[in-house]
Amino acid sequence: MSEGDVPATLPVLQVDQLEVAYGARTAVAGISFDIRPGEIFGLLGPNGAGKTSTLSAIEGLLRPRSGFLLVDGLDVSEHPLEAKARLGVQLQTSSFQAELGIEQIVRLFAGLYGARLDRDQLRTALEQIGLGGELGRRFKQLSGGQQQRLALFIASVHEPRLLLLDEPTAGLDPQSRRQLWNRIEALRGEGRSILLTTHSMEEAQAVCDRVAIIDHGALVALATPAGLIEEYKFDPRVVQAAHGEVTLEDVFIGLTGSEIRD
Amino acid sequence: MKSVTDTGTVRPPLNLALRALLRADATVLMRSKISATLSILLPVVILVATTFGKSQHRLGGTTLTIGLALVIGLLTSSMLGFTLAIAGDRDTGVLQRLHAAPVPTWAIMGSRMGVQVAANLVGSIIVVVVGVILHGLALDAGQVLLVLGAALLGGVTFLSIGQAVVGLVKSSAAVLAVSRVIFIVLILLGLVGGTGLLGDTLKSIAEWTPVGALMTLFADILNRAGWSAQDGWALLACVAWTVVCAGIGIRWFRWESR
Repeated sequence: MSEGDVPATLPVLQVDQLEVAYGARTAVAGISFDIRPGEIFGLLGPNGAGKTSTLSAIEGLLRPRSGFLLVDGLDVSEHPLEAKARLGVQLQTSSFQAELGIEQIVRLFAGLYGARLDRDQLRTALEQIGLGGELGRRFKQLSGGQQQRLALFIASVHEPRLLLLDEPTAGLDPQSRRQLWNRIEALRGEGRSILLTTHSMEEAQAVCDRVAIIDHGALVALATPAGLIEEYKFDPRVVQAAHGEVTLEDVFIGLTGSEIRD
Repeated sequence: MKSVTDTGTVRPPLNLALRALLRADATVLMRSKISATLSILLPVVILVATTFGKSQHRLGGTTLTIGLALVIGLLTSSMLGFTLAIAGDRDTGVLQRLHAAPVPTWAIMGSRMGVQVAANLVGSIIVVVVGVILHGLALDAGQVLLVLGAALLGGVTFLSIGQAVVGLVKSSAAVLAVSRVIFIVLILLGLVGGTGLLGDTLKSIAEWTPVGALMTLFADILNRAGWSAQDGWALLACVAWTVVCAGIGIRWFRWESR
């Protein structure tokens, strides 16, 4: 079967009974979900719930203890490099070599993903994300918002089917966060699917088509943001957490508890 | 759940990825001024210092002095340059991001090592040229090629030791401490132990250390001594250190320090 024969309705990502462990400690305990073409999917959970471990397994950075991961129909364990080629990745800590300038960083990752960019294309692309004048600067010299925009640009430089964004707006001011949301929605408009993790319920409601709440490595709930509120608005745990009209954050607190996680 | 595509498996061209890695790694190395400067400055300082008084004789003559300078240059760039750069990039997530790219892991590490080996060769050429000028040593083309061959081998041996260190030790602070200790132990054991000042047992051990073995090779090449059994054992020692340390470094290497 050639690439062109893949049915259009096939999920871009299928996660089935995924288990990830660090030695004896289980970080992800058999979660399953899938992401459809053109969908923005949010993975929500308290600190240590297993969000980043799930993403790391999909990215090929961790070997799952068991379960299946299919990226665009490709088994990640059988075709790790081919699966990685179809993913755009923005890690929680976007870090690039401090000695390299922005142009060099983009060229490095374009080369790694097989994308060819001439100088004019690169300049135009960076201008579109407001970094046209920063070509010669180093990554560490950029503001937080600029760093995240650049990291997102690098993640999408090879036009991947699926983007994995680990807390892409963490630490950003409201303006930068809105800009990044617009960029994420623009990428969806170009036909890409997006899996993002976030602690911001506002973000999940604003940009995600569906969200999954995970806690202690297990899937607690999965639906649209509005669907989750509708489903759980009379749940006693949620009612107890709510201050007035039930919000997505109330559902989240109700289902995962109010104790602080580190 | 089954994979639906068997032939639709597209991965980016390896040559494009390798070119991008080599270009980036070369840029990073050229901009890492402290490491580059130390690996060339230290040997040159030794060569300059030994032109005064009788210090050169204390170090065993011209050929041993140049050999020592070459070994220190290679050891510095590998143990205090390559190893610390890898540990630092692992701590900051740079390696993890590269690991997420569709490139074989050997290409990521191979590119770094390849660039470091090339830098080692350039550094060795500079040391030999300075040594020849300051110490009046005459070398023919064959000797120069053999010196570069030995420098290549020594560089790879020290890089393997560095790889073993980052394989076994996770945090960059611990890697820095361990690298410094190994650097000092190798120098003391290889050089001081090799003189026999610390007794015959340590002298025998010193000949089998990477520094001792490499010093033997450099000395015999620069002295135009013919190939001897001792050179064969020195060569074997370097290869053995390389294989064992590279094996350890690959087996236990982790792409993130968590």
